[in-house]
Amino acid sequence: MITTWRAAPAFNMALDQALLESVGAAPTLRFYTWKPETLSLGYFQRVAEVPAAQKTRIVVRRITGGGAIHHANELTFSLAADQTHPLYDCAIGESYARIHRALAVALAEFGVTAELRGERPLASDRDDTGMCFHASTALDLVWNERKGVGSAQRRKHGRVLHHGSIKLDTTPLEGDIATLAATAPGLSAETLAPRVRAAFERELGLAFEASVPDFDERQRTKELAPHFVDPAFVKRR
Amino acid sequence: MRPDDRKYTQTHEWVKADGDTMLFGITDFAVKELSNGNDSDLVYCDLPEPGRALVAGETFGEIESVKAVSDLNAPVSGEVLEVNTHIEEHLEVLSKDPWNAGWMVRVKPTTKSLEGLLDAAAYEKHVASQKH
Repeated sequence: MITTWRAAPAFNMALDQALLESVGAAPTLRFYTWKPETLSLGYFQRVAEVPAAQKTRIVVRRITGGGAIHHANELTFSLAADQTHPLYDCAIGESYARIHRALAVALAEFGVTAELRGERPLASDRDDTGMCFHASTALDLVWNERKGVGSAQRRKHGRVLHHGSIKLDTTPLEGDIATLAATAPGLSAETLAPRVRAAFERELGLAFEASVPDFDERQRTKELAPHFVDPAFVKRR
Repeated sequence: MRPDDRKYTQTHEWVKADGDTMLFGITDFAVKELSNGNDSDLVYCDLPEPGRALVAGETFGEIESVKAVSDLNAPVSGEVLEVNTHIEEHLEVLSKDPWNAGWMVRVKPTTKSLEGLLDAAAYEKHVASQKH
């Protein structure tokens, strides 16, 4: 388990890719926050389809799919493992459901009753913002009829990277979504993270040890970091 | 039973000889895994430009569903001769006909050997061994 609080946007994305590429490594859970706050685009998103990208100073592009996320007032996590690991040795949808069910257990500790959306529209669904929290699928984790966790995956060479964003409070670019502000006002990412870790260990049968990226992962992160803020990548679509 | 006129990868791509060239695509299992039977769940597909050199086992494109971005892995090495660009705007083709209309790239292979790839029977077993 790796924690990197208030880390640079390019570093955040590069380390996740390095963890994705770390073939054979034990499942790695990472918690992080961003400094400065950042807007991340989904891998295939068009910049022009995300009006918020014009209102944010720092924009990166993720290697995972889905919509844009404003990384402020949130706990971000990633969970990387081999596709053959029991965690991910299932249909893609089921891997989402497993992670979200475990997250729901953690969120319950903070007064939230979260559930998979299923077949119903949400009050947080919006057209034309391009924001992840304003688009929902049946597998999304919701409470108060709004989306509360942003999730996306990348699958590459037998490895899986799952990205998640848990909102502690709304941001100006992601209004009217589910957050923890009402039931756990003032909650910090640093306080929430250990409870999510415990829920993942208990519910998913995993065991994490506090660690740091190994030498190869650090080297790869350094190599990759410039790519994530390179306009040729960020504005490629 | 899936078509036995081609070979398959463990990562659910297929390759089929067509004269001196080879066609690549992805299997019905891959499409179902990504789309869960819902055409609109497939969002984007990026395929390589003609002229690009592909290496067996390396990425030749990417496909996104609402659930994940996944790499497309080249079954054999070779040079891209032609790309089925129709797919990029009509992803439903992959669900309707992954074996023919859903071909993705035509490649001039560096070798005609398909050694190490799965035949249809072996691929069936591979799919059956997946827990989903």
